[in-house]
Amino acid sequence: MPENTPDSPRPEHVTLFASCMVDQLAPAVGESTVDILEYLGITVDFLDDQTCCGQPAFNSGFRSETLPVATRFIELFEQVEGPIVVPSGSCAAMVRNFYGDLFRSDENMTNRAERVGERLYELSEFISRFFGTDAIKGTLADTATYHKCCHLLREIGVDEEPLEILSNVDGLQMTPLDRADVCCGFGGAFSVKMPDISSAILDEKLDNIEANGSNMVIAADTGCVYQMQGGLRRRGSSVQVVHIAEVLAKSISNSSVLGKS
Amino acid sequence: MKPLTTDFRSKAAETMVDEQVLQSLEHVYTGFFKGRLEAAGDTDNWEELRDKGKAIKDHTIAHLDYYLEQLADNVEKNGGSVFFAADSAEARKYVLDLAHARKIKTVIKSKSMVSEEMALAQALIDDGIEAVETDLGEYIIQLSGETPYHLIAPAVHKSRKEVAELLDDNYVEGDPVPDATELTMMAREKLRGVFERADMSVTGVNFAVAESGSITLVTNEGNGRMSTTVPRVHVAVMGMEKIIPSIQDLSTMLRILIRSATGQRISSYVTMVNGPRKSDEEEGPEEFHLVIMDNGRQKLLADEQMRESLNCIRCGACLNACPVYRKVGGHAYGWVYPGPIGAIVTPVLTGLKDAGNLPAASSLCGACHDACPVKINIPRMLLELRYRTAEGSTDKAERTSSVRERTVWKAWRIGMMGRKRFDIGARLSRLFLRPLARKGWLKKAPPPISGWTSTRDFPLVSSSSLKARLSKRSKKAKS
Amino acid sequence: MTSRAKFIAKVTSSLGRTEVIKPSRDESTAVFDDADTARANADKAMADTAANSIALTDRMAKAASTIGWKVHRVANPADAADVVANICEQKGATSVLRSTHDVLGEINVDAAVTSTGANLGVTEHTGDYDEAKVTESKTAAFAADIGITGVDYAIAETGTVVLHPRSGLSRLVSLAPPTHIAVLRPAEILDSLDELFALERNDHMTRKLAGSMNLISGPSKTADIEGTTVTGIHGPLEVHLIILEND
Repeated sequence: MPENTPDSPRPEHVTLFASCMVDQLAPAVGESTVDILEYLGITVDFLDDQTCCGQPAFNSGFRSETLPVATRFIELFEQVEGPIVVPSGSCAAMVRNFYGDLFRSDENMTNRAERVGERLYELSEFISRFFGTDAIKGTLADTATYHKCCHLLREIGVDEEPLEILSNVDGLQMTPLDRADVCCGFGGAFSVKMPDISSAILDEKLDNIEANGSNMVIAADTGCVYQMQGGLRRRGSSVQVVHIAEVLAKSISNSSVLGKS
Repeated sequence: MKPLTTDFRSKAAETMVDEQVLQSLEHVYTGFFKGRLEAAGDTDNWEELRDKGKAIKDHTIAHLDYYLEQLADNVEKNGGSVFFAADSAEARKYVLDLAHARKIKTVIKSKSMVSEEMALAQALIDDGIEAVETDLGEYIIQLSGETPYHLIAPAVHKSRKEVAELLDDNYVEGDPVPDATELTMMAREKLRGVFERADMSVTGVNFAVAESGSITLVTNEGNGRMSTTVPRVHVAVMGMEKIIPSIQDLSTMLRILIRSATGQRISSYVTMVNGPRKSDEEEGPEEFHLVIMDNGRQKLLADEQMRESLNCIRCGACLNACPVYRKVGGHAYGWVYPGPIGAIVTPVLTGLKDAGNLPAASSLCGACHDACPVKINIPRMLLELRYRTAEGSTDKAERTSSVRERTVWKAWRIGMMGRKRFDIGARLSRLFLRPLARKGWLKKAPPPISGWTSTRDFPLVSSSSLKARLSKRSKKAKS
Repeated sequence: MTSRAKFIAKVTSSLGRTEVIKPSRDESTAVFDDADTARANADKAMADTAANSIALTDRMAKAASTIGWKVHRVANPADAADVVANICEQKGATSVLRSTHDVLGEINVDAAVTSTGANLGVTEHTGDYDEAKVTESKTAAFAADIGITGVDYAIAETGTVVLHPRSGLSRLVSLAPPTHIAVLRPAEILDSLDELFALERNDHMTRKLAGSMNLISGPSKTADIEGTTVTGIHGPLEVHLIILEND
């Protein structure tokens, strides 16, 4: 990943891809994403017709069901120009890294998918690449730790950037999570298909979270957030699992420094 | 070895409640996984080495017929014999016939996963020939009648007490358990006599070198060296893919194999054998036999989507990185190869119709791909096999997805093909589930997500979508 | 059709072809390097050794020590002999075997060993293969307390000693006795695995490849019980490296 020297020119306008989970389960994450982008001086468009990138069906092997949904996704987003931002590493990975395999027998769709994919960014990737990891100067007094979501880390290649962004939030005391880069056990449909294994992996993650002692766990993918929060709730823990977009948006609204950076 | 892939879920469940095994399995992470990271960190050109290793394997597999012929010709030129075995039964028969023909009384075995495919040790014993595993881990599981739990550390699941019960003739329940050093010395004593009297050895092959007809063994214990020294007949068994073209390629391959397997910079021993003993040596095997086995690998080779799995150098790094392996253990995978590599090769080698659970048992975290010294893209192949079990296989028997599952994804697709229905579906689900929820969370969700709530709370769908909220915002902004 | 021919034909067809074709040049593997290149690589390896002797010796000593050799750096043959004698005494050795490496004569190892009262045997085989002799030398190796060899090469990258078993250097002398002493000179130290395999490849290209080769990097070890590393299982438990730096 690039050092903290932002790419230029900086985009002034982006299109938001929510992801199906954010859209219907966690819209606050989407609103926070818009807040952050507007804070950075960008205008944000939302395509009303969007639904899903198709990842859940693809990961379960049902490519015939995935193809029409993914095709619809491409048809929708190729109508706009400029960067597309999604607050999810796994959805970004689906479009950029897995659409090629999905569309492998269709050269035309492969090319169209590539053209959309090359301007699709996960949120923290987008911030660090175009604005720098010190672009957000917010305030949030709390103790927190960061879980490295697998697809963001290994498919998109975003590792330390979210931590660097969070380190610039005034008052936020971050401590490293033991085995931060070990999976939380979500894996999409895996979490319900093989709940025993998913939960065994989650247990280890939750043990590490509780041992860490922070009030908050920050992560960049909604599925992982719910896997961990759902498990912590079941344990009777008061630890909050929060999407990084919500943390940053709150820190911005808390801060006395408003407006463009 | 007979595949028992259908037992995956039940064996996994057994492991997940076995505190002692789970604790033992931690070693693969704290020891091997951390070791690899440290060794890689100490190696300046680590990524270059991985890329080179991948390129060497890609090239070799793409020309496997050429290099197999070169290997066989050179082994024979060196005075060795080569047998091409179509399957494990043929390979086993060759070794048994040879043992009888040479009047062999004692066979020593050095670690070989291929020999596990052949279930060779037991076959020899059943045929009246003493066959002793000499790698300490293999020896332990031979004593306990089990199959290997890990590619590198076959007895990783065993506690010290269990090892004492197997190795220590004087151990009685309630005694203080001897430490690892004492137990290791007991094994050394027991096996020393076996080494001295062995008249045949069967070893594996880490790398067979085509241009010189050499086989290379990477070991730490010394049993590999004993096996290539003491007996009069040495048989090396290998999967047909364990070839590299040149002697000089060994510097790259050894570096990535050893660091990835244990985190060592080099193993205690690397042994290269170029045929039976030479005329100026008085000791060393008189005969060298190389058994090259297919046993289903042709299927992997012919399968363009799965061919990359043949690049595997059997280091075990993917197992050490895998959060699933660390919870379900090695025996759940039901055959010779556990972990992520097992999840992709076992279904093709033993039959996808019974092994569908193996590629399904993954969160697709990608840690295996990250860990692999030759950058095998295991997640891509897990997804490929899932596609085949769901709907993609041309063999109906392999399409093991249930009607319920197919219906769920059909309904999902219908729901995702239009915004209106997407919103309606979400609002309806909230309508139905809200009575079951408290403060936005469900303790018990209905199928198909009931599995979730057995151990976790499940969130209720939001009362309004992002689309609705943003459109309200923009109306507000405009007003 | 022979089983080999059938097997290969199947591989060829699995690769989507009808006949075996010779691969075209691929830079990743050294197999396409011709004999001249192999010789040049080997020459460079030896030249590097000669030019960087002091640095290589230091690196070798450090790497060897890290992986479990007990390293003794000595400035003259007499001191080397003393180290050998001390080890024999420490171990209470009664039976010692050695190879015929030149360096062992240079340090007068025979006198050093016998002065402690131990018996010394030489693992030199002469004449035709004789089963009785083989059994005798095998028994002697398994009974010996210490095995002493020189080295054919050493590798500074890894702290490795390289041996090519042959007449005068048995396979067992460095394997069966619980203690192994290797005596090394700086001129034998190669930079890395690259140099070793360059030399081996050149030997192959000039039809001089040894029958077998052992790379020895420290004592034998295992971590098969609870992941605890234990030194000394089937091979030597203790290994000494004497670096004779008088050239």
